[in-house]
Formats: sequence, structure tokens, C-alpha cells
Amino acid sequence: MKRISMMGCPNVGKSVLFSRLTGVNVISSNYPGTTVDFTKGYTRIGGEKFELIDVPGTYSLEPISKAEEVARTMLQEADIIINVVDATHMERNLYLTLEILGMKKPTIIALNLWDEAKHIGIDIDVRQLEKLLGVPVVPTCAITGEGVKALTLKLRAAKQSEQIKPMTEEERWRKIGEIIRKVQVVHHRHHTIWEHIADITVKPATGIPIAMIVIFLIFLFIIQIGNLIIEYLMDPIFYNYYGPWIVEFVTAFYPEGLVHEILIGNSTLESLNFTQSFGLLTTGLYVPFDMVLPFVVTFYIMLSLLEDTGYLPRLAVLVDTGLHKLGLHGSAIVPTILGLGCNVPGALATRIMETEKQRFIAATLMAIAVPCMAQSAMIFGILGKYGMRWILMVYGTLALLYISLGLVLKRIIKGESPELLLEVPPYRKPDPVTLLKKTWTKAYGFLVEAVPFVLLGVFVMNLLYISGVIELLSGLFSPVLTTLLGLPKEAIVALIMGFLRKDIAVGMLLPLGMTPQQLTISCVILSTYFPCVATFVVLLKELGIRDMLKATGLMLIVSLTVGVLMRAILI
Amino acid sequence: MSGRDVKVTPLTALLPGEKARIVALGHGKGRQRHLRTMGLMEGKIVEMVAMQPARGPLVINVDGTQIAIGLGMARRILIEKM
Ligand SMILES: Nc1nc2c(ncn2[C@@H]2O[C@H](COP(=O)(O)OP(=O)(O)O)[C@@H](O)[C@H]2O)c(=O)[nH]1
Repeated sequence: MKRISMMGCPNVGKSVLFSRLTGVNVISSNYPGTTVDFTKGYTRIGGEKFELIDVPGTYSLEPISKAEEVARTMLQEADIIINVVDATHMERNLYLTLEILGMKKPTIIALNLWDEAKHIGIDIDVRQLEKLLGVPVVPTCAITGEGVKALTLKLRAAKQSEQIKPMTEEERWRKIGEIIRKVQVVHHRHHTIWEHIADITVKPATGIPIAMIVIFLIFLFIIQIGNLIIEYLMDPIFYNYYGPWIVEFVTAFYPEGLVHEILIGNSTLESLNFTQSFGLLTTGLYVPFDMVLPFVVTFYIMLSLLEDTGYLPRLAVLVDTGLHKLGLHGSAIVPTILGLGCNVPGALATRIMETEKQRFIAATLMAIAVPCMAQSAMIFGILGKYGMRWILMVYGTLALLYISLGLVLKRIIKGESPELLLEVPPYRKPDPVTLLKKTWTKAYGFLVEAVPFVLLGVFVMNLLYISGVIELLSGLFSPVLTTLLGLPKEAIVALIMGFLRKDIAVGMLLPLGMTPQQLTISCVILSTYFPCVATFVVLLKELGIRDMLKATGLMLIVSLTVGVLMRAILI
Repeated sequence: MSGRDVKVTPLTALLPGEKARIVALGHGKGRQRHLRTMGLMEGKIVEMVAMQPARGPLVINVDGTQIAIGLGMARRILIEKM
């Protein structure tokens, strides 16, 4: 099978074009411009099947970071290159184009954002551009799909450029100047309403209040819509249909005994008890599907909106000053926000930070103080009924930890903290199809990752209970838990479970009959003491064993200290 | 070039709404290339869009592209006001 690599600068619409060209079976989703992970899919053009690769966006092939190295390798391994060029920023996009054409691979150019270029008054002579570059050029508008068909039809005409030779940097810039003069005419530009909004949202006096409102609205939306989905869709399904059916079904085969216990716990037709029965087919499915999935879906819709409209980089600019005090810079908002969804992509996204010091700080702060959506959903679930202030106390404590730890780490970790340098793209209308596809990929990814772990966790816990190991451990750890933290010694089960999955671990606090104070302390400790195993593995790969040991030590110390302090204040 | 004095100042001297011509990028070769591929080139007109308080980053506009750049980096870019 031939391989097509799609290459281009960041923010040229490569992902949208990619999802236009590929079917649904796309492997691994990437966060535009943030990680070196790439996306791979398949496409059928003229009866032939191709492998299509969405190469991470870079401005150049010069290896200044991992992203360019990866891009260069992928270029060399490809049979055909589709170079996606932003028609509204030809000048700087052509640098990469000339580098690619110098590599002598069959290439075709998609001149994307063609609609946008026309809209703001940029005329480009496509025929002339083709002649100067020596490869086919097809104007496209990825969001409407215009020109995409023409692009696939012309794919076979992709060829090596005769005109463009490998050249030095100065020669390239000179050549670009020449090309631009010959093919591009810019008419009078009028300030659009979106440009005014763009300015308002990045000026501090207006931008900071707007950012606060946006963040507040996003959280409100996630919580409200998540709750609506639970109330009107998931709960009815579980309580009216699935619950009674599964109880009857299991009871028909195993009226009682060990298997009955493990499968549905103490659920009965009268009391389904999904949250506390701790059966594989009751709690094990109810927690991920009913209590967590609705929030995960709404979270990823909001995240995609933030990404695709172009608001995220503006947020990065506004928080840059503050994050500098923590040894980071504005871009660190990306791993933090991703971490609020799931710590695994959050950990991967720490790669956008330039130095080892910044990566360590970003990763450690995320692992300690940023609870994932699955965990948050459960925290809302168990603390919500005691009132908002307990939830605020959990998040307030975590935010305080994020800041104070950052202040300390900035001082004690050696290394450099470089400054922000970031393109702030214009606001764009997000494409609903791409948005839904992205959300689907991530929600699906959540289910595939979470459900097996939850089930495994529930199963192992059942075995540990039955074999008496839990009793042993809770006896062993009871000095720490009861004396230091003021928690019942049975809380050890949640801490054990927390190594596997944080959501179900929070759920395990429910049957222990704790006070809201104890629950609050437990939630904070569960967030901070150790990342879940999936995050741990990724962090180990990203940071290396030495830094990971440092981070882990820090987590344990911080968690215990905060727990003891909270106990002194609350209980 | 006319004989009149052109005052070359760092980019940080520009106030929001003001425009200037870029004279020199003033960094190492690698950083210069990076800046050029982002659209920051000698001879281009920059406009200051916003300055974040407490020595935060600047947001500038070059050819319709907005770029956020840290204060330290911006100090080394030289401009002449127009
Ligand atoms: N108007 C317009 N917007 C587009 C077009 N292609 C992509 N976009 C938008 O541009 C933004 C960036 O696209 P994306 O595919 O994420 O960029 P990437 O970084 O190159 O992958 C998104 O908000 C898209 O909806 C296009 O042809 N016309």
C-alpha cells in the first residue's frame, strides 16, 4: 500500500483536510501543534487504497525540536506528499514548501483556506504558482470540502519538482520574495468583526475578565449538560432497563454464591444499588458509563471548541505572566487543560515545553494537582449532595497546591525557563463534523482505556476482600489513616484502587459512611498521592526513571502533608 | 533612505496601536529562522496589539498574523518607528 504524508505548517487546516480524506477508522488523535503523536488513516482514491498520515505541523524541516525530526522522517518514508499551504499566509508557508520540494519526492500542493483568502482580498495566480514550483497546486476549502475532490483526482499528477533545487536559507527567502511578487496581489483589507473580537480577547483589560467568564461558562456547561445526560438518558437506561434485566439474568443462573457476589454484588430487584454493590456488571459498568462518560463527552466537546475556534492560544497569552512565576510559560496551559480531561494526553502534551526543567514542572504539577474528568465526575457525584462548598474546597486546595508547588519547584529545579513564542491564529468557525469526530475518537478512547481497568479493579478488589487481604492491609495502614488523617481504616481500599483508576476509587469511599469533611480530605489525597497506572507509565517514559522517582517522592510527601493539615483544620 | 534621523529602538518601546518597521531580528541563526517562518522578517511592518501587565508577553501583528512573544525576546528585536 502506498503511503501519503500530509505536511504543512501549524494551523493550516491539515487536520480538517485529513478527516475529509479518511474514513472513520482513524488511529490515535493528535492535539494540533502540541504533541509529536501523529494520526494515521486510510483512504481510497480511484480504486486504490492509500495509507494517509497527518504529519505534525512544522514551519521548517530544520531539526530544532522532535517535531521537525519526526516530520523529516515521515517525509522520507512517504511515496507521495500532500503539502497543505495556507493561502492567507503564503509567504511564510512557502519556506517549508521549498524545503519539501528540495527533497525530490512526488508532491502536490493543497492551497487551503482558499475561501478565507478570497474573503480578505488576496488574489493568487494558481497557474503561475504551479509553473514556478513545478508541481500541481489545487485550491481547497477543507471545511466545506470544496476542491477536495479535485485534489484526489490530481493526486496521480503529483511529481518531483524540476524547478526547485535544494538551496540555502538566504536563497530560499529570496526565491519566496520572487514567487510572491509574481503570483499574489493583496487588495485593500477591511477589519472584520472577528478581528475586533480577536483584539479585545487578547488585551489584558478586556481579555482577562472575558477569559474568566469563558472558563466559568465552560465548567457550568460541562456540569449542567453532563447532569442532564445522566438524569434523562443514562439513569433511565440503567435503572429501568439494564438493572432489572441483569439482576434477573444473573440470578437465574447463580441465585447466590461467589459468582453472584462478583457479578452483581448485593444488587436486588428492589434495590439495584449501582453505586455500592460493587459487582462487575453493576458498579463496574455503572461508574464508567453512567457517572463518568457523560462528563467526558461534554468535556471533550468544549475542549475541541476551545482548540478549533483558536481561543486556547489567547488563554495561553493571558496566563503567561502567572505561569512564569511557576517556572513555566503560557503554553503550559495546554497540558493542564488536557489533564483536566485525562492525565495521559496531558502528560504527553508536556512535550511542547522546551526545556527539561519546564517539562518536569509541568508534568509534576499536573500529576499532583490536576484531577482528570473521570475523577472529577465522581467527586461531583459523592460531594455534590453535601453542597457546593465541599467541592470548592477540594478544587481550591488543589489550585493552591499547583501554585505553591510551582513557586517552590521553579527555585529548586535547575535549568532554564524560556519565554513564550506563539502564533495566535485568527478566530475560525469550527467545523461541526471534525468536532464530533474528535469528540467521538476521544470518548471512544476513554471507554477502551477505562472500562477494562475498572472491571479489572472491581474484580481484583472482590478477590482481595474475599481472601481477607484487605483486612490485613487496613490493619497495617490504620495508624497513618486514622491517627494522622482522621479517616476510617477501611479507606485503604480506595487508595489501593487509586493506583488503577481514580474514578472507581472515589466511588469506593461511598459505602464507608464518612462525613463530608472526611470525604473532602480523601478526595484531595486520592488526587495527589499517586497518578493512575496509565499516567504513571506515560510519565515514566517522558521523564525517565530518575525524575519520575523524584516526582513520586514529592507526591507522597505533599499528599501526606496536605492531608494532615486539612485534618487539623477541618476535623 | 533620506538623510533624516531614524531612531532605532527595541520592539518593546512600541505602544499598543503604534506601527513600526522591523530593522533587525537580533538573535542566533536558529531563532532568526524560526522568527522568519512565523512571519517576522526584516523590512516588515509590525503593529503592537497588546502588552500584558507585569512584564508579560507582547502580542504583535505582522501581515495580519498575531504573534505572542516574551518580553526578553522582544527586547532584542529592533524597529524604527514610523
Ligand atoms: N475558513 C476556513 N477555515 C478552515 C479551512 N480549513 C480549516 N479551517 C479551520 O482552521 C482551523 C485550524 O484547522 P486545523 O485542521 O485544526 O489546523 P492544523 O493545525 O493544520 O491541523 C479550524 O478551526 C478549522 O475549522 C478552510 O479551508 N477554510
